[in-house]
Amino acid sequence: MLESAAHVGLESQDGPLTLDRFGAESARIGREIADRYHRYQIETEEVDDANPLPHRFLVKVGKVGLAKFIAKEMLMYFGQFDIIFSRPCTYGVFSGPVGGFAPRPKLCVGCLRCTVQHPDFVTVEHNPDLMALGDSYTTHGHIAAIDEEAKKGIVPVRGQGYRGRFGGPGFDGMLTDMSEIVRPSRDGIHGRELIGTAVDVGSKPMHLSFDADGKLSGSTPEMFTIQVPFLFDLPPGDLGSNDFARVVDSTSRRIDTLSCLDAHTVARLGLDAPNIVPVLDNAEATHTSEFPAARLIELDGWNADAFEAAREATDAMIGVRLHFEEGWQESFIAAVDAGAKVIHLLADLHGRGADGSFVSDLFKEAHMILIEQGRRETVTLFGGGGIVGADHVPKAIISGLDAAALDLPVLFAFQGRSHGSLRKRDKVSGTLPRRMDHDWAEQRLANLCGSWRDQLLEILGAMGIRDVRRLRGEFGRSMIVRHLEDEAFEGIAGYAGGGA
Amino acid sequence: MTIVKPSETLIHKTTHLMQDGMNARAFGEYRIPEALGDARWTDELILSTWYMAETGEVPDGMNFKTGKSDGGFDRLDFQFLPEGEWLEHSGDIDTSLHLNRRGDGKNEIKIDIPWYGGGMSYGSVSVNVMMSRARNARNWNSYISTGEGGYPPELFEVKENVITQVATGYFGVEEKTIKAAPIVELKYAQGAKPGLGGHLLAVKAGEEVAKLRGSVPFVSLFSPFPFHSTYSVEDHSKHLDWIETINPKAILSVKVSTPHDVDMVAVGSYYAGAHIIHLDGGYGGTGAAPEIAKKNIAMPIELAIPKVHKFLQKEGVRDEVTLIASGGVRTADDIAKAIALGADGCVLGTTDLVGMGCTRCANCEGGPSGRGCPWGLTTTDIELQEWVQQDWGEKRLDNLYTAMQWRLRDILRKLGLNNVQELRGRTDLLRYIGKETGE
Repeated sequence: MLESAAHVGLESQDGPLTLDRFGAESARIGREIADRYHRYQIETEEVDDANPLPHRFLVKVGKVGLAKFIAKEMLMYFGQFDIIFSRPCTYGVFSGPVGGFAPRPKLCVGCLRCTVQHPDFVTVEHNPDLMALGDSYTTHGHIAAIDEEAKKGIVPVRGQGYRGRFGGPGFDGMLTDMSEIVRPSRDGIHGRELIGTAVDVGSKPMHLSFDADGKLSGSTPEMFTIQVPFLFDLPPGDLGSNDFARVVDSTSRRIDTLSCLDAHTVARLGLDAPNIVPVLDNAEATHTSEFPAARLIELDGWNADAFEAAREATDAMIGVRLHFEEGWQESFIAAVDAGAKVIHLLADLHGRGADGSFVSDLFKEAHMILIEQGRRETVTLFGGGGIVGADHVPKAIISGLDAAALDLPVLFAFQGRSHGSLRKRDKVSGTLPRRMDHDWAEQRLANLCGSWRDQLLEILGAMGIRDVRRLRGEFGRSMIVRHLEDEAFEGIAGYAGGGA
Repeated sequence: MTIVKPSETLIHKTTHLMQDGMNARAFGEYRIPEALGDARWTDELILSTWYMAETGEVPDGMNFKTGKSDGGFDRLDFQFLPEGEWLEHSGDIDTSLHLNRRGDGKNEIKIDIPWYGGGMSYGSVSVNVMMSRARNARNWNSYISTGEGGYPPELFEVKENVITQVATGYFGVEEKTIKAAPIVELKYAQGAKPGLGGHLLAVKAGEEVAKLRGSVPFVSLFSPFPFHSTYSVEDHSKHLDWIETINPKAILSVKVSTPHDVDMVAVGSYYAGAHIIHLDGGYGGTGAAPEIAKKNIAMPIELAIPKVHKFLQKEGVRDEVTLIASGGVRTADDIAKAIALGADGCVLGTTDLVGMGCTRCANCEGGPSGRGCPWGLTTTDIELQEWVQQDWGEKRLDNLYTAMQWRLRDILRKLGLNNVQELRGRTDLLRYIGKETGE
């Protein structure tokens, strides 16, 4: 038998082994291995609305004006009904049984041809009911985008250029880079399927150590992998219903990510599973033993004693949820010193810490603390707050996160409605559709994740980056608008710097 | 529903209703539609563009200069001289622009206005729109670019004013269309979707479009990113050499978007042989692009121009290359500001479409109807494309350019300049309107 034949599964009793047979068998085995390979993707499928958003526009047609217009055309184009009944809308707003006398505004896309063409009797206005959704940070625009993404599971594509403000606060003030000609990879539009979005959760040693015999002697990686760089966070405010928990559980299992859920809910509903991250108060730290299937359990806030107690009670990784309150840096360092392998950073839902800083700066600060201490790989950083758009995920990762935690987007994926301010986590109030079908909701959430992952691929593809793990903390692949303005407008009269 | 080519009567009725309605709105006979406009193209900016396209004059009482995007061009203004020092408004104020500054024996091209028309492919727009723009370009001794969709036979009538674009999918690129062109444009990227390539949705890839692109009808067509033959500046140089071999007289334009290292890209293109460096900023137009790309990837043009201008100066090659800016350039004021920031001239796209009736509804890619633009602009639908007739489109654009040139001269005279080229890089003539003062 050839020396390497055993490695590819050839048995000598099958007869004499020739080079030809070796080659053929190697190819067959290689094919089998390749066929077993499953390229990760999220199966999306368009679903119906259960609680549709208010339509975008209000279309009003003056009946008298329309009647006069038709009468005039009857005379002008006598007998030519195709001319008389031709209408300016290609979207069907005026194609109901009685045409423009009962317009169907839900079909209106705002081209405005009707109101331009017939300014005397047609008006088109923005629907105030839609404009009233959300709040000053999570706007109706974010909600409408999430709604479309969760409905269709695709990357939203439109004509025309950008319509919004120049730069802006928060994540709007950050641009992502692209690679023009010299690219590190041959990806682009035909290579996106090869871009990896998996991230490791847990701890890797910063270097390997070997003993005198050349055997590994130091610590080894203690981690698991999720397939997307985002997870579902604790439902904020009063949103944590049983239905909500069951859907995020099944969806996170389906797309291979994690769901943070209140430990009591996990226990009550029997949801303990590898994809579930039970969240415990420090006073209940020893209850970690009640979740034998969990790979990761989080404690809410830093307490050294509780952390030790939790760790002793389970083999699961213990993560620590840290709010960006005054002095968070000390707690952060202490938790990492104590051996926490996952730190889950939390701002308010407008993405602000207690000192008013935005999460992109706060995530960066946490990331840089670990870099400066030479132990970034030993800790996984999750982060949440203010992440309500597909572009926020890569921007949060550029700022230093390993994975982003989604909170409000889940509510809006389910076509829930919020009431009042969406800033404080514990004060958020919302309602889900009255009869939320589990499969429908799971598909909506999977669609949202598929859409956001695909949009992440667009960003990574533009940069020529083939693995989202390489994006973490790559500040150099982002551009801050106020810095660019300083460079561009320096010396121009009246420019005070810092985008002022 | 079967869609058929509309009768002459229907074309007459529809175009008159549309055109009369545009005029009624632009002339203030009815109040501004509540749902019109956005931060970059405000209602007044759209209506004032319609006004200029109808009359050839700038309007009174409407802001025809800026949008409300709270940054960039919209926060820049000019520091005009005291009124007593203004020059006379005159046709003698030179607005022309040389496109070949290398003195290398290739086409010596001077355009009468410091802008030309950007690429819009056949498929993304109709032949009627392409021809309206091309015939207007001929009137103004300027150009339009084919975009990446081939060269409809009608365009040969105006080939002296048409730039052939070679982009990453090579759709419709033929030896004869490169030979026909005084300028050949290599498109590496587009500002609205930098690094992502192009995408013509299946619904817009009809029989004629597919034929010109060498494809089959109603199949989505992707332009990849990047050029799969270009992974270095040396490869880029090779590309330009190919074009030169086919058409030795053509001057070469390189269109790139605005990444962090756009200054290095520009210098690399210059040394590879480009005559024109065309920067396309992140807020540029598109027939279809992922929403996430439009705002988030690459930088706005206002921030890229000075970066590239200064770097070219530092390299000592600034006067040997023409720097063209596009992607969010809407008005004559924007053009003047771009030049003051360091560009030589600009490329317009969306402005042309707005001049012909676009309301920026963003359904160019097909929209829910799958038929494309209801105004007949970004569509090849057999019925809708008839809503833009070539004579009318040409006249609208001619009027619009007349008003824009007038306004450009108005700016120059108030700055005491006789020549638009004297404005280049004159940031000392600009002022920034602070956010805090709210001036």
